[in-house]
Amino acid sequence: MSVRLTAGAIQDLITDSEVTNPVLQCLKMRQVANTSGPTRYRLMMSDGRHSYSSFLLATQLNHLPENNLLEPNCVCKVKKTTTNTLQDGRRVLVVIDMEILQSGEEAGGKIGDPTPFAADGMTTSPMKASPMKTSPFESSPMKTSPFKASPMKTSPFKASPMKTSPYKASPSKTSPYKASPMKTPPYKASPSKTSPYKASPMKDNSSPAGSSTKVIPIASLNPYQSKWTIRARVTNKSNIRNWSNSRGEGKLFSFEIVDESGEIKITAFNKEVDKFYSLVEQGKVYYITKGTLKVANKQYNSLNNDYEMTLHANTSIVPCDDGQDIPAVHCDFIPIAELENKDNNDIVDVIGVCKSAEDVSRITTKSSKEVSKRALHLIDTTGKVVTATLWGEEAEKFDGSGQPVVAIKGARLSDFGGRSLSASFSSTVMINPDIPQAFLLRGWFDKVGFKLNSQSLTETRSAGGNTRINWKSLSDIKDEQLGHREKADYFSCIATVVYTRKENCLYKACPSDNCNKKVIDQQNGFFRCEKCNREFPNFKYRLLLSANLADFGDNQWVTCFQETAEVLLGHSAETLGQLRDTDEAAFDEVFQRANFTAHIFKNRVKLETYNDETRVKVTVLEVQPIDHREYSRRLLSNIRQLAG
Amino acid sequence: MASIVDVPKPRVNCSMLSQHINRPVCFVGRVEKVHPSGSAFTLTDGDGKTANIELNEPLEEELSGVVELLGMVSNKGVIMATTYTILREDKGITFDLELYNEALKVIHDFPQYYPFEMAASG
Repeated sequence: MSVRLTAGAIQDLITDSEVTNPVLQCLKMRQVANTSGPTRYRLMMSDGRHSYSSFLLATQLNHLPENNLLEPNCVCKVKKTTTNTLQDGRRVLVVIDMEILQSGEEAGGKIGDPTPFAADGMTTSPMKASPMKTSPFESSPMKTSPFKASPMKTSPFKASPMKTSPYKASPSKTSPYKASPMKTPPYKASPSKTSPYKASPMKDNSSPAGSSTKVIPIASLNPYQSKWTIRARVTNKSNIRNWSNSRGEGKLFSFEIVDESGEIKITAFNKEVDKFYSLVEQGKVYYITKGTLKVANKQYNSLNNDYEMTLHANTSIVPCDDGQDIPAVHCDFIPIAELENKDNNDIVDVIGVCKSAEDVSRITTKSSKEVSKRALHLIDTTGKVVTATLWGEEAEKFDGSGQPVVAIKGARLSDFGGRSLSASFSSTVMINPDIPQAFLLRGWFDKVGFKLNSQSLTETRSAGGNTRINWKSLSDIKDEQLGHREKADYFSCIATVVYTRKENCLYKACPSDNCNKKVIDQQNGFFRCEKCNREFPNFKYRLLLSANLADFGDNQWVTCFQETAEVLLGHSAETLGQLRDTDEAAFDEVFQRANFTAHIFKNRVKLETYNDETRVKVTVLEVQPIDHREYSRRLLSNIRQLAG
Repeated sequence: MASIVDVPKPRVNCSMLSQHINRPVCFVGRVEKVHPSGSAFTLTDGDGKTANIELNEPLEEELSGVVELLGMVSNKGVIMATTYTILREDKGITFDLELYNEALKVIHDFPQYYPFEMAASG
C-alpha cells in the first residue's frame, strides 16, 4: 500500500507557505563531514512533484539514519522544520522533527516522477535561476553540482557540509572544495555542533514577540551568528551573587533554559541583573534575542551544551504565552548501576524512588558555618541504591513520606563511601516530577521495587571510602601480614562459621541510648553504669560473640559485636538472654545452627598489644548473605586472569 | 551391576557431546520443546545450542524450566536419559545458565585442576 506524498509540499516549504506535516519521500541521503562535532546528514526529499536536495537533518535525529530507520526511498512525515537562508540566498531546510511512515522497501521505489525544484525568484543568485542546473543529482558525474560550483568560490560560508558534491562526487572537479574545509576561515571551521548553515536564519529580529519571527533551536546557537531568537523555558534560576576580588566587584545571576532541542546556561552581570532578575521566572517561557555566546566554562556549567550565553545591554527577553510544547526540563538520567563507571566529581542527572530518607541533621563546616543536611537513599530499576545528600533549605523541606520519586539534575558524584551523590548549589531537585520517567519508576517500584533487597553503592559503614571491596582469603591474613601497619586493614572474605563460643557471649549493658558499657550488678536489684555515672533498675542484653571462621586457606578467630552477632545467630540479644535463663537446650541449639553457615564477612584487622602480648585481632563489621552469582563471576574472572 | 549413578559423569554442554559418545554424562539445560509422545524433548544449553533427549519411559509430569539429567550419549549425539531432576526456580533465585556454561568451560579447559574421574574411581 503506498502512502500518498503531499504534492506541492516542497514548494510550500521553500516559499515559507503554510504546510502542516507534509509527507515526503527521502530519495537520497548522504553523510556530510563536519570539521568538529557530530555527523550531519543531508537529504534529498521529494513530494512526488518536486525534489529538493538541500534538506539537512537536525543532529538530534541522527539516530534515524544510524539505526537504518531513515533510508533511501523511505516515506516520512516531516513534522517540524526551520529554514536557513545562506548568504547567497539559497535556502536550506533543517528537519527538526520527523516520523518514518514507510521503510524504503515498503515504498518500493521512487514515488512519482519528481523534478528538482529550482528555487527561482527566491534568491538573487543568478546561478539559481538557470534551468540548466537542474537535477544536480541525476547529472553525470563529470558535471559538478552547479549548486556547489559558483557560490563556493565566493562565499566562505559554504565551508562545511555542503562542500562535498552531494551524491555523485566527482573528485576532480570538486577537489578544491574538499580540501577547503581546513583552509576556510576559522569562522566556519570551528563551531562544534551547530551547523554553520544556520548562519542567518533570522531576517527579522526587530519584533521578537511577534509570531512572524523565526525561532531557532537552542542546539544551533553558536558564537558565529548574531541574529537569532530563541524561545525556551527557564528551568533553574539562581540567586543574585555578589563577588569582590582583586579586579573589582560586581553581582551576577544565572539561569538555565531548555527547549525541544537542548539546554543552555545564561548569565547576567551587574546592570543586566537589575534589568532581568525580576523578569525571569523559573518555569516560564520567554523569547530571548541578542545575547553573547561563548564557549562554556565547564567548571561552573554542567549543562549539555558547548556554549553558554551572557546577557548584554541590547538583550531582549520577552515573555511568551504559548509555551506548551516546550519541555519543562531536559535531563539525561544515568541508571544508578552505571554511576560506578562514572568518574569522581562528574555531574550527572539521576532519577530514583526515595526508598528511605534519614532525618535532617545539622553539621558545622570547616568554615564554621552551620548547615543542614539530609541523606536520601534512591533506588531505580537497576536495583541499585545510592545515597544522595541534600543541603540547606532543600534538606529541611524534604518530605520522604510516601517514598516519592526524586529526580536530581546536575548532582555531583563523589567517591565518598564508594559512590554517593550530592545536590550542589547548581543542582535542581525535583520531587515527583511530571515526566514520563517518573511515572515509569513509580509503576516499577510499586510492583517490584519495594521488595528488592538491593545493594547500595554507598557503604554506610564506610571503611574509609573504598570504591572496591577488598577481597581476601583467610590465609592472606598471615601471608600478607594484614593489620601489621599503623592503620587497621579492612577486607572482605567469604567464609564458613565453624565454631561459635556460647560461653560469655552475652553481657549486661547500660540501658541508656548510645551507651553500651557493661554495668556492674550491685546485687540489690540495681545496676551501675560507670560511664553515665548512674544506677538503673534494668539493663539490656548485648552480644559479644567470639567465633571461628574458616575457608579453604585457613581459619581465624573473630569478634562479632551486637549487630553482626545477631545476624549470625539469627536472634536478638534480648531473646538469647532470656533463652539462656529459661531453656538451655534451645539456647545451645541456636549456636549449633549457626555452625557451617557461610557468609560474606567484612572485617577490620589490626595488630593489638594487650599486656605485653601482641595479637592480630579481627573484628567483623558486616555480615552479608553470599550472592552466589556474583561470587561465581568473580571466581571465573580471577581464573581467567590467572590463566593469562 | 554398576548403574549410571555410581559412575563419574562429566558435566557437558552441547558442543562437548561429540567428545563423549557412548559415555555417561550430566547435562543441564532449559526445556525447549517436549515431543507429544512424552518420550523425547529438547533442551537448550548456556550457549543457546539445542540437544535432543530421549527417555526410556514417557514423561509423567510437565517438564519446564531448567533440568539436570544423567544419561548416555548415543552415536548420533542424542542423550539417552536415565534420570532427571528439575531445578526449582520458585524459590526466587533463577538458575543462571550462562554462568553455568562459563563454569563448564573452565572445568574443561583445566582438567588437571578438576580431576573428577580420578576422585570417583579412587
